Amino acid sequence: MRPRPAVEAHHFEALGTSCSLFGLGVSQTQLLKGEFWVRELGTRITRFSDRSELAALNRAEGGWVDVSAEVEELLRESLRAYEFSAGLVNVAVLPSMLAIGYTRPLAEGTTAATLEDAIPAPPLSDVLTVRSRRARLERGCGVDLGGIAKGWMADRLAVQLGPDALANIGGDLSAIGPGPRGDGWPVGMGGATVMLQDQGAATSSARRRKWGELHHLIDPRTGLPSRSGLEEVSVVAATGCDAEIVAKTALLLGPGLATAYCAAHAQAWWFSS
Amino acid sequence: MRTLLLKLGATVLTLGTTLASAVYVTAHLKNPSAPLQPAVLASQPGGPVGGLTITPGVRQGDVQPVTSTYAS
Repeated sequence: MRPRPAVEAHHFEALGTSCSLFGLGVSQTQLLKGEFWVRELGTRITRFSDRSELAALNRAEGGWVDVSAEVEELLRESLRAYEFSAGLVNVAVLPSMLAIGYTRPLAEGTTAATLEDAIPAPPLSDVLTVRSRRARLERGCGVDLGGIAKGWMADRLAVQLGPDALANIGGDLSAIGPGPRGDGWPVGMGGATVMLQDQGAATSSARRRKWGELHHLIDPRTGLPSRSGLEEVSVVAATGCDAEIVAKTALLLGPGLATAYCAAHAQAWWFSS
Repeated sequence: MRTLLLKLGATVLTLGTTLASAVYVTAHLKNPSAPLQPAVLASQPGGPVGGLTITPGVRQGDVQPVTSTYAS
């Protein structure tokens, strides 16, 4: 029996968070290319740079904007997330993000909150239109791709590095192939180790990116940081992006409904209040 | 006369079915052996909050994880 190749690992900071790439039978060069892809796409989807594609869409005042294939796909994924979560995962929460003082990377600190400007997010499907390489956002609206982008990028990276790889982009994971021992990629979640094989996992948490009484997980129904009674939800699902969507939705639903939602959409789940 | 008998019969049948259904439902409030949907392989103690719930599609491991979902 041929010995399995060693796991190559590469860790880096990007998108304001920690990222890790693992692969069996991949080179460090391939992992570095993965990092470059994350950084390059990150510059196009950040809301903190006026030169990004996302910033151009947000300031277009209702006009059509040319977007790259990746951004088009991310915006379509955002619309899918909106439908999949019955409106709870809504990237059109940017006005609320700004109102709570999350106006720049958290490493630079927050600005003063103006909670009176925090308003319920509009229905995403009413304000965002995506066509081939073009997108339009209604005047006065803004989108922040946040967690959707991390899950989507983890899924794409795992495929790029495949057939036996694991991508962790800021806690959104995607695993492909049988992993180091042939029984899946061991991933920590909910105080246990789960073995992921062709699956994704994510944690949605109100305990991180938190300052004072405020945190970054906006409930689009109120426009304010979630107070659902759940502070952290971890999920295993079919893909990293699905895990991100289900985890965030469950957290926003709260302890009363989260179990039923996860039972319908997740393969494993863990809650903390 | 025949019409009246038919109406009477239908009314009796309807009332009888309703009564029988009500008796059956109250006598079978739940089936404790009904399978969970979807099937749950394991649920650690802690109730809705604090427990890790795993369906048959996920395996729990006993090795050191290479990474975790807690990063952001």
